[in-house]
Amino acid sequence: MSDSLVSLAPGRDLLKPDASRSSNQLCIVFTGSGSEYFRIWIVNLLLTLVTLGVYSPWAKARRLRYFYGNTVVDGEPLGFHGDPKKMFKGFVLVGLLFGLYSVAGNFSAMAGFVAFLIVAAIWPALFKSAMQFRLANTSWRGLRFRFNGSLAGAYTAWAPLFAFGAVLAGFPFFLPNADMEKETAVLAKLGAMWPVMLAVMLTGIAATPVLMWNLKKYQHNHYALATLQTSFKATVASFYMLYFKMVLLMLVLLSTVAILGYALVTVSDLLPQWMVSAKIVVWIAGMIVMFVLIKSYSISRMQNLVWTQTGNASLHFTSTLRFNSLLWLNIKNWFFIIMTLGLYWPFAAIALMRLRVEAVSVKTSFDVETMVIHIKTVEGEAAGDASGDFFGIEIGL
Amino acid sequence: MDSGNLPTLQASYFDGTSARAQAVVLQLQGNTLHLSGEGIERSVDLRHVQWPERTRHGMRVAHFSGGGSLQCDNAAAWDAWSRSSGQRESLVVKLQQSWRGTVASVLGLVALVMALQIWGLPAVARAVVAATPLNVDVSMGDAALIAIDQQLMTPSKLPVDVQVRIRSALTHHLSTLPADSLPTWTLVFRKGGIVGPNAFALPGGTMVLTDELVELVQADEQVITAVLAHELGHVKHRHGLRMLVQGAVLGGLGAVALGDFSTLLAAVPALLGQAHYSREAEREADAHAMLVLKAASISPAVMVTLFEKMAQQRAAKSTINDGESDDSSWLGIAFRSHPPDAERIRYFRDATP
Repeated sequence: MSDSLVSLAPGRDLLKPDASRSSNQLCIVFTGSGSEYFRIWIVNLLLTLVTLGVYSPWAKARRLRYFYGNTVVDGEPLGFHGDPKKMFKGFVLVGLLFGLYSVAGNFSAMAGFVAFLIVAAIWPALFKSAMQFRLANTSWRGLRFRFNGSLAGAYTAWAPLFAFGAVLAGFPFFLPNADMEKETAVLAKLGAMWPVMLAVMLTGIAATPVLMWNLKKYQHNHYALATLQTSFKATVASFYMLYFKMVLLMLVLLSTVAILGYALVTVSDLLPQWMVSAKIVVWIAGMIVMFVLIKSYSISRMQNLVWTQTGNASLHFTSTLRFNSLLWLNIKNWFFIIMTLGLYWPFAAIALMRLRVEAVSVKTSFDVETMVIHIKTVEGEAAGDASGDFFGIEIGL
Repeated sequence: MDSGNLPTLQASYFDGTSARAQAVVLQLQGNTLHLSGEGIERSVDLRHVQWPERTRHGMRVAHFSGGGSLQCDNAAAWDAWSRSSGQRESLVVKLQQSWRGTVASVLGLVALVMALQIWGLPAVARAVVAATPLNVDVSMGDAALIAIDQQLMTPSKLPVDVQVRIRSALTHHLSTLPADSLPTWTLVFRKGGIVGPNAFALPGGTMVLTDELVELVQADEQVITAVLAHELGHVKHRHGLRMLVQGAVLGGLGAVALGDFSTLLAAVPALLGQAHYSREAEREADAHAMLVLKAASISPAVMVTLFEKMAQQRAAKSTINDGESDDSSWLGIAFRSHPPDAERIRYFRDATP
């Protein structure tokens, strides 16, 4: 279905809803093409390498312009108009911070821990300005989006996540120093530490859903366009339910792989040499399939949960991303990416974006043309925008 | 204002405060864009317009820096108007929009990546290492040794007289070389545990020798000297710091290229590149071992003995878990940190008179 819509895309009138708007169902169509993005991507990559990374904010701006410009909501495209020069400053700042962080751990555990604390202290502020910058530089129908989250809100959303990180990162200091003590004493002390560690890890796992909920709530409560602001209605219980299913799926898959692996090892004595080599390939393929399965499941269910519960009295999002479709697409993407040594990636990115974006629709109880802006958008710092890349945070959809 | 001859274009205008589209006619006069429509008469300096680039898919949207935008559904008409109004395309857009440019970019990229891997990155790493004071290596090595002692190894069970014998043999053999050609070093003994028979050098000059290796070669001083001469090669060329620099750059490049797809996959090129550098470093260290052995009049064949003993031990173990490292397959070699044993044995055997 999506293919036919896409080929019609240049004739925009076909996408436009009827003049008689009985229900304001805004459908989202993605018109980007893999072959065109391939050309953009390869030139971006070449220039980024030639300039030793300096070009990357410009590459990013081109990429976002292409993706946003081809996301057509109710017949009108989104626009990204971030200034690469501003993004460059942020890129340098975050690059330095991240470089410092990754090098510090090589000198001493203490230096690594201090670097972690510094990053943790700055990170929520960066995150908030990342959201602000990205939304302020995104527009639809000439109106700029806004992110209304407060600084205090950002710290509240991130602090519990970093608290667990700090306990784990600080662990080496609680360890006894082997130079000072006898071997048996070291072992005894280690033995005493381990239940504490286990308890911390288990608490971390048990708390993950509520912490993620907390973070998503911060994001989805503060998206705004014109006079509208979204709110997030998903419950903590729904997050726990989803994580429970994810863990269950992981356990089932892990035990399957373990049983298969055991079977492979026990029969490998009887196999000829080439089959033993093939076994490694099968093993790697199996691990990738497992990884893709879990990822597809969690991404599709999380997107549906989070976006379907986002909206307000006059605006409602619905996401119906199917696990099967995403799984099939991810397997196909991985296969071709490996076969082409990465060159398929732009095609994969476009296909993934199309599937994920077109699964979302928006319903409004008013005519979108009547929206008016009274408030001037605050742009935020581009520094944050770069940090989103470094830490792999997904902003928006 | 007379602009009757200038090319015009029909477009939709969003003023930035209302979501309603208004039909306007556009004209470009020098560096000023004129918009005119029902009740709209606006002139904007081009410095405040983010001009859309030509793409095959998607509409044309020009954003004004103060808010608001112009939109044109007919991309071809926009491009034609833009061209005839004297707007130039950037080289990047030209490259992106031609298949010839794309093929050239792919070839350029492959050539660049290879050049970076073979010459560029090692040169950068060497320069960074040369500019870094030695005490950086020392503090890295100290931190590594503490971590090893805490998590991996236990104090040596080797009799003190054996330790003394090994240390003085190494000192003696190294004394045949000019003192300024050798880095400062210290030798420590540890029980390897799960690491098994092994010897390695930490940045800064600390060499760790495991009891298991000493037992494997029956405390043969010549073999151990050969092993430690190899490790001293790593110290001399400061491979630890070099690998750190190269790894950081490779990881960064991988993340730039593929990071937005999968951080897992982005690590693969870095892993492959790093394995290649590691094998180069091993060859360099082998060459250093050879230098020491020749100066000390020890036959390079002692290294061959070591490889054979290691292989025997691996063979004995592999009845329990086999196939995990298949030396002969290209996949195995590409990811291995050391050159294949056969190649290293040949290197030392060929040098044996």
